[in-house]
Amino acid sequence: MSSTSTERIRPSSVRKAAPSPRLSERAVAWGRRAPLLPALVFMVIVTQLPFVATLVISFMDWNALYPDQRAFTGLGNYAKVFSDPNLRSSVFTTIELTVVVVLISLMLGLLLALLLDRSFRGRGLVRTMLIAPFLIVPVASALVWKHALYNPEYGLFNGLLTWVWKLFGSNSPPQPDWITSMPLGAVEASLIWQWTPFMMLIILAGMQSRPLDIIEAARVDGAGTWQIFRFMTLPHLRRYLELAGLLGSIYVVQNFDAVFTITSGGLGTANLPYTIYESFYQAHDYGQASAAGVIVVIGTIVVATIALRLVSTLLREETS
Amino acid sequence: MRALSVSRRTLPYVGIGAVVFFCLVPFYWMAVSAFRRPSDQFANTLLPSPWSLKNLTSVFSSTNGFGRALLNSLVVAGTTTVLTLIIGTFTAYALARLDFRFKNALLAIIIATSMFPGISQLVPLLKLFTDIGWINTYQAMILPSLGFCLPLTVWNLSVFFRQLPFELEQAAMVDGCTRGQAFRKIIIPLAAPGVFTTAIIAFIAAWNEFIIALSMVNKKEMQTATVTIAKFTGQYGFDQPFGTQMAAGIIVTIPLVIMVLIFQRRIISGLTAGGVK
Repeated sequence: MSSTSTERIRPSSVRKAAPSPRLSERAVAWGRRAPLLPALVFMVIVTQLPFVATLVISFMDWNALYPDQRAFTGLGNYAKVFSDPNLRSSVFTTIELTVVVVLISLMLGLLLALLLDRSFRGRGLVRTMLIAPFLIVPVASALVWKHALYNPEYGLFNGLLTWVWKLFGSNSPPQPDWITSMPLGAVEASLIWQWTPFMMLIILAGMQSRPLDIIEAARVDGAGTWQIFRFMTLPHLRRYLELAGLLGSIYVVQNFDAVFTITSGGLGTANLPYTIYESFYQAHDYGQASAAGVIVVIGTIVVATIALRLVSTLLREETS
Repeated sequence: MRALSVSRRTLPYVGIGAVVFFCLVPFYWMAVSAFRRPSDQFANTLLPSPWSLKNLTSVFSSTNGFGRALLNSLVVAGTTTVLTLIIGTFTAYALARLDFRFKNALLAIIIATSMFPGISQLVPLLKLFTDIGWINTYQAMILPSLGFCLPLTVWNLSVFFRQLPFELEQAAMVDGCTRGQAFRKIIIPLAAPGVFTTAIIAFIAAWNEFIIALSMVNKKEMQTATVTIAKFTGQYGFDQPFGTQMAAGIIVTIPLVIMVLIFQRRIISGLTAGGVK
């Protein structure tokens, strides 16, 4: 940093007249950066190279069952992904899953943050407990929902239904088979449960950075609670809502654990990551799996961008 | 009027109660199921009766090999965290403090990388690791984990580094420190809280990792805890050892819960600092 600033002060004519110190200066600068280079290079290799490889393979006709027929096919794999009804439906499933989970957990998270943004006894404890779903290992959480909650015979939901119906003197409570009757909803509910605390944490951080004196002034001027929320809190929270929605959708698009565990991709819940996993392990079609992988990446970027735009335009309308 | 104000005061508590219920009930049911006797697996009582540790002990039975799986998880997540921190600290420092060409492009690439789903990298990685004989090794799980922990770490740490008082570092260099010394003696101690938070987040991410661990390993002794839980088959073949799975789920979550209870404040500030500042 110091070298650049001295360079800026020095008139350009001097610089031209004496090229050699500049050279050594550059060498010094590189000497300083050199220790950092391996870290940078390693970082780029670890994070980028597999994706580049995926990109290359996605343009190749490569099935492990027919190793001799490896060849370049151009966009063939992509055409296959979009013409295969299974894969196409998995694209829509992914979109639905992501939109539903992110929107609902954002709303719940906002609600929770509003509730927690006041002082009451045991607030720290409540906040800690609310983070719990975010901490539980995703696979374990999916198992809890699958077995402990959804199971038609001994799951908690049907147990509760039985209890409530008994309370009213009925002995034939409805005992739905949750996963079979609403497979995608079952996956979504477990993901919403898991992601709501994350949304809440980010939104709560936003709430606590509000300028309280201005809100106080508005209240003195006669603004109601709803007005303060709508015209002051919500606009202030915009960036936080955007961030939460963005991070959430990035992770939910990629979700694999919940689908794999709860429904094993059956009953129309196979999202793109799961379909890739299947076409890789069962069809051994590396090319097609890679093409689908590239589509997930593009989809992630698209979803994130759209989500960002959507939330910010919505909120901009609110403010104007 | 008074009734209204009373309801206004109690209503939030009702809301909070409902929310706590929503968040904790699945947990509670998990714990209750874990402490039932395996033969009471289908019971619906609110408390296990009688209590039993049988599920917990059968988790560690030789057929399930959960102890080994926990050890594997610890090795993979621990190594990933340490390596991520070493590499991530240097990279983040370079990005936050030094000027060089393509710096912003590099930062953009790093952020974009954190969006890349692990699944999209699975194909080439698996192919590569098969060819060089890395299947069923720790490094086959650690290296991909580094790939998704590093962007997170670098992003978080470069935000922390940027907030540190730059003048202190310059003062140290004026007083005769080299840049390396300034980094070691001034920046590292100041950044310790940030580094610490990042370490916890990286550890949680690596500990929870599932799909890479599922794909890179087919030998039981090398499975990590997350994979082992999903693959529990029980002692009697095809029955779902539901109580055992719940018990294992609790055991695998406990380290994270303890860690978070201790470092709660830091984690929350770390989670939010990365994005918004």
